Amino acid sequence: MFEFIIWISLALIAASSLLLMIRLIKGPSVPDRAISLDAIGINLVGITAIMSIVLDTSAFLDIILLIGILAFIGTVSIAKFLEKGEIIENDRNNQ
Amino acid sequence: MKKTGLKTNDLILQTITKIVLFIVIIFSFHLFFAGHNAPGGGFIGGLITSGAIVLLLIAFDVKTVKAILPINYVKVAAFGLLIAILSGIGSFLFGVPFLSHTHGHVHIPVLGDTHLATAVIFDLGVYFVVVGVTMTIIQTIGETE
Amino acid sequence: MNNNIIILPIIIPMITAVLLIFFNKQEKVQKYLSAVSSVINIGISVFLVHYVHTNGIISLEVGDWKAPFGIVLVADMYAILLVLTANIIVFACLLFSYKIVDYNRSKFFYYSGVMFLLTGVSGAFLTGDLFNLFVFYEVMLMSSYFLIVHGNSKPQLRETIKYILVNVISSALFVISVAFLYAVTGTLNMADLSLRVAELGSSGIIAAISIMYLIVFGLKGAIFPLFFWMPGSYQAPPAAVTALFGALLTKVGVYSITRVFTLIFLQDIAFTHTFIAWLAVLTIIFGVIGAISFSDIKQIVIYNILTGVGVILFGVSTMTESGLEGSVYYMIHDMIIKGLLFLLVGIVFSITGTTNLDKFSGLIKKYPTLGWMFFIAALALAGIPPLSGFIGKLKIVQGGFEQGEFVLAFAVLLSSLLVLYSVMKIFINGFWGEEKIPQVLETSQVKSLYVPAAFLLALSLFYGLGTEFISSYIKQAEQVLLSPDLYIEAVLKE
Repeated sequence: MFEFIIWISLALIAASSLLLMIRLIKGPSVPDRAISLDAIGINLVGITAIMSIVLDTSAFLDIILLIGILAFIGTVSIAKFLEKGEIIENDRNNQ
Repeated sequence: MKKTGLKTNDLILQTITKIVLFIVIIFSFHLFFAGHNAPGGGFIGGLITSGAIVLLLIAFDVKTVKAILPINYVKVAAFGLLIAILSGIGSFLFGVPFLSHTHGHVHIPVLGDTHLATAVIFDLGVYFVVVGVTMTIIQTIGETE
Repeated sequence: MNNNIIILPIIIPMITAVLLIFFNKQEKVQKYLSAVSSVINIGISVFLVHYVHTNGIISLEVGDWKAPFGIVLVADMYAILLVLTANIIVFACLLFSYKIVDYNRSKFFYYSGVMFLLTGVSGAFLTGDLFNLFVFYEVMLMSSYFLIVHGNSKPQLRETIKYILVNVISSALFVISVAFLYAVTGTLNMADLSLRVAELGSSGIIAAISIMYLIVFGLKGAIFPLFFWMPGSYQAPPAAVTALFGALLTKVGVYSITRVFTLIFLQDIAFTHTFIAWLAVLTIIFGVIGAISFSDIKQIVIYNILTGVGVILFGVSTMTESGLEGSVYYMIHDMIIKGLLFLLVGIVFSITGTTNLDKFSGLIKKYPTLGWMFFIAALALAGIPPLSGFIGKLKIVQGGFEQGEFVLAFAVLLSSLLVLYSVMKIFINGFWGEEKIPQVLETSQVKSLYVPAAFLLALSLFYGLGTEFISSYIKQAEQVLLSPDLYIEAVLKE
């Protein structure tokens, strides 16, 4: 039963990643793409976690954290770029 | 992209960054020390550390980060390179081929029985080189006039 | 006793380069440190030459990983002689740079770049592992990208983009060919490769891979038809950097071809080495045509690099005792003389402010020393008997005749005449004739620039006149190239 649930959830996450991929390609606006990228990152975390349950190993836990950090930084920088037009500012108080 | 004149409110991002920064840096140390027998090592550790600094740069600005971390990253890379080379020089003293490494178990008061390897010194050099080079690149191409 | 000393010519420049990064603002420290480390390096190289001469090939298993599995550094006579020559040329170029590189450029890590370049070049000469060779190529190329763009002028930026594109592509090809060879043989240690390839016998795939290596190294070494990037790229940077590039970078490519085709790809000599011989002669022809047709002295010398590369490769392709011996002679001669010629071109440039022959003439009245130095260098380049180019060319042509390649060997001979014409054209138009100098520089300012050039010239004269003294070293280098068993035995210690 437990294994069945795991495979079902893997399939669902994969399907959702595919749907997000459509959103990533089609757009229509840049924020849509940014959000879909972020969501794909979260799905990757989910897939890695489930795979580490399937394979009964803790070696992937570092990778989960790693993907989390990278997805976070990536999303934040895209969001900032959309809002301000630049990612790293020189001096934000007096421009 | 368009550049709005409005002053944006970054309160959430800045508050979270202040906490997450330390988690990321500690995680990079963890990866660095995991390197000997597990995935990790100086290269990944260095990348994650520079990731943390990049997060700081995004949430604040270049001027603030320079005030917090008054570091010349080119020198960091050079320092790392120096460590990496000098870790090999030890082989001249012990009369073994260049870059030979050794390891052993040492009892350290707080940590208990610890597995120490001389390869870590080389890895530390790699860590500094990666941090230095990555941050130099990001600062150079990320800076706006 | 382990052979840790082999690593010294690689790490001393590296440590120096790193230390120079820390002292980038102190010009004095930069100059003294680089000069001192360069002199130490020459000393160590001389000692290594002597050591290899008495003890035979020495090898170092880095990190104590045994030979076919770990990386080995191998110092045979050929490699260590080239390391010594490279160090001497870097020393001369450093002396030259002290005068012409100002503080605004040296504080942006100029001397570190030179030292990293030397690291890569020495490493490429000394390594005994194909993948490690790739790594040292990259070290060398990174520093050359840096040095070629250093100074930031418009032509430099334009040429750097081409240079980087060509070299990135050829590096990718290099990795691909390393992967192919690994897939076929399962090893990357050159000595082990030699054994494994011999076991495989004559097969099509090895021949194909060997041609891939020829393309990769040929791109770096600028052989026909892969030399198209060189004239432009070497034209852009200042004289000291061009001297380094012309004397060292292309020669690393030629050295790699020599090493690979005398040690590993020996199965199908009738095909591969004849192919190389034809390419070499075509390279010579194109180099000579270029050298004659240009009236820019820098371009003339650059095209003469091509001729030199061709002559060396022709010697290698004969695979006879005298041919290989001649190629070793000519390689070292060519490194010294090309460094010297580029330094002289640099001096002319700093006197007249131009390298175009139409714009100046009659230099010899004001600068007689420069004129006669150029004259002797030109004669040596062409291989006039008592000077350094003669013995190498003689042996190479002799090797060609032994192989029955009369037409090709004759082309090599004929090329010396045209080379002589191309450099004499500089001498006649630029140094003789009516005195016409666009800008006049005080003689005292130029005098200090003579020192490194005179140093290299003296070396070249010694190399030519003291052939008897050197010949036993060259002989030893040639023996390893001729019989790979010596190399294999030294590395694998069977």
